[in-house]
Amino acid sequence: MAEMTYRQALHDTLREELQRDENVFLIGEEIGRFEGSYKITAGLLQEFGPKRVVDTPICENGFVGLAIGAAMLGLRPIVEIMTINFIALAMDEIVNHAAKIYYMFGGQCPVPLVIRTPGGGGQQLSATHSQNLEVWFAHVPGLKVVAPSTPADARGLLRTAVRDDNPVLFLENLALYNTRGEVPEGDYTIPIGKAQVMKEGHDLTIISYSRMAVVALDVARRLEQERQLSIEVVDVRSLRPLDHETVVNSVKKTNRAIIFEEDWRSYGVGAELAATLQEEAFDYLDAPIQRVAGAEVPLPYSKPLEQAALPSARQLVEAVDRLAIRKRRVVYA
Amino acid sequence: MPEVTMPRLSDTMQEGTIARWLKKPGDRVERGDVLAEIETDKATMELQAYESGVLEKILVQEGESAPIGQVIALIGSGAGVADQGGASAAHPAPQTTTASSVTGGGAAGSGGSGLGTPQEASPRPRATAPVEVPRPAAPVGQENGDRVIKASPLARRLAEEHNIDLRQIRGSGPGGRIVRDDIEAFLESRRAAAVTAPAEAGVGAAPAPPVAAPAATAEVGAAPAEELVPLSRMQATIARRLTESKQTIPHFYVSTEIDMTEALALRRQLNESVGEGGVKVSINDLIIKACALALEKFPEVNSSYRDGQFVRHQAINVGIAVDIPHGLVVPVIRDANLKGVRTIAREARALIEKAHAGKLTPADLSGGTFSISNMGMLDVSEFIAVINPPEAAIMAVASVRRTFVPIDDQPVLRDMMHVTVSADHRILYGATVARFLQEVKRLLQNPFSLLG
Repeated sequence: MAEMTYRQALHDTLREELQRDENVFLIGEEIGRFEGSYKITAGLLQEFGPKRVVDTPICENGFVGLAIGAAMLGLRPIVEIMTINFIALAMDEIVNHAAKIYYMFGGQCPVPLVIRTPGGGGQQLSATHSQNLEVWFAHVPGLKVVAPSTPADARGLLRTAVRDDNPVLFLENLALYNTRGEVPEGDYTIPIGKAQVMKEGHDLTIISYSRMAVVALDVARRLEQERQLSIEVVDVRSLRPLDHETVVNSVKKTNRAIIFEEDWRSYGVGAELAATLQEEAFDYLDAPIQRVAGAEVPLPYSKPLEQAALPSARQLVEAVDRLAIRKRRVVYA
Repeated sequence: MPEVTMPRLSDTMQEGTIARWLKKPGDRVERGDVLAEIETDKATMELQAYESGVLEKILVQEGESAPIGQVIALIGSGAGVADQGGASAAHPAPQTTTASSVTGGGAAGSGGSGLGTPQEASPRPRATAPVEVPRPAAPVGQENGDRVIKASPLARRLAEEHNIDLRQIRGSGPGGRIVRDDIEAFLESRRAAAVTAPAEAGVGAAPAPPVAAPAATAEVGAAPAEELVPLSRMQATIARRLTESKQTIPHFYVSTEIDMTEALALRRQLNESVGEGGVKVSINDLIIKACALALEKFPEVNSSYRDGQFVRHQAINVGIAVDIPHGLVVPVIRDANLKGVRTIAREARALIEKAHAGKLTPADLSGGTFSISNMGMLDVSEFIAVINPPEAAIMAVASVRRTFVPIDDQPVLRDMMHVTVSADHRILYGATVARFLQEVKRLLQNPFSLLG
């Protein structure tokens, strides 16, 4: 296993997929000569040429539509939308076309398309550049949506996404690009739709994804030290399809759940998870499900205000307090 | 006809409670089949059949207790199964006492029989009595009738499984919500209420009479200014044994402070090198090892006083006090002096997990020759423990604290830990214990000596 950044894991995977299959190509704004706003595509234009790494004008609706057409005809486009905030411009192409073509044409042409795009707040980029819009896509049948939290998952899920015959929204997080982690070598893939138990525990479960899963893991380890609480952390990784089984089994074991997400609270991924638990694990709950999510405001530019609006480790600990887990026993260091 | 008697399942057991019958009258039983689960003061154990045949009669019902040796069931050819009620006259009347059973007693009409009174010759009312006592409606209803009962779904499910009326329980969760802990505590108290006061006059017997059946089941919710919480079997045993310890053993105490800086550094190193899934070593594991090695050097401390004699134990078995809900148990690490710290760590962890799961066996709990009570994680500066008889000494371990210590006349920050040994003065004297403690200190301050 090699240690690398999330950014490097994405770059290496794109490069390997371009090498592996000549039908794969990249398309987006500034991904070629400028090497990508976040340098994920650094060096790829030079290596694969302008037919495989395509720079476009600022026209999300146009190049996403182009990619869908290319996918229908047998190519495997990987679109980079510079940030998820610009994806609204391509909404019609994604929701009305990419998601539905396979159904509407009676299964005659799949759409093997990947749309990569980063989101998330905390960079002082203000309200229109700091959003978590994953639930827009997770809501739509016909789309798959993944949001990896670690370099290993970024690599394993991106490979699977590129090889999948359905449109996949591959959601990155700006704050994760420089995080490091071990990444398995070889042709390593992760199935879409399978959550991961990042840490086992028996007092409560924190369910999360993307950057918040990293924060959750950190908090769980800290509370284990400070309070002898044994916390299970589940990273769902795939928002659609959602792995009910892993989430429900975890809560059946711990009897308590906190859902921790960066997006807005109302109608969000957390709401879906809470409803799932209520339906499938009701008799195992010993306390109401807690949700910790972003404040329901357009994200402020001011740093302290921005930090106050984003969900925090402190809020997560407060949610643990609300569960009122009595301290467990052991007179023992 | 073979009689099934209450077995002796642990050293300290005096009577057992039938937690559950796994066979019912009329069932065919093979030798070795599990007949029942029996709750002792320490654990719930399985009772196997020693004879094959047909389980003809159950004489002690679920939730009831019986002293060791009492007949609790009969296994025979099967002929006696039919007449449930009348047949009892054929058997010597068992000594079961009925007064404080949850299910028997008042409602069935046999209440009021004194503790230890032999069973009347009439057919046993309990055999036909309804399982649940009709509860006196007035107090419960008036108190709680209009109240919306808040209970977690899990608590409701558990209550249903155990046939508990949630109105009897006061919730400890936010807004008075009944949660799992409350149900478990209630089950514990219900079991305790079912316990017949032992025939022996002793500490354990005292709290029993006021806890007769109706009090435990019906009035929990309508508590007046004070609340009677019956002791569980385990709590009663702890009370009895620790009173005995303090009353019969002349305790004396020797304390010291140990510089744990090096031991903490060693532990850090050990744990950094442990692979994925490996067992981490705790401070306590190092202390166990240090005490075991010191006991090797001071066999007097690894001894017992028995009838005016000094019993020196060959094996060094270190007990670790583990706090579990509503009690305290001391599982034992055997031959701790011969085991490496990782082995000790693995065993200690397994024992603690078993303790929390209520699955310790008498074997896990017996044979200790020295105990350690560690409250390090509870932020205590120092404390004194009560000797766990028949051991001669116990060491109380307080928290590790960063303190300035003069070294070469300069204040230096070190991690200091206060320990106190409580010892039995009939066989141990101050100097011996002090030397033993010096050795423990020497080992922990030169922690590589623990890795030999």
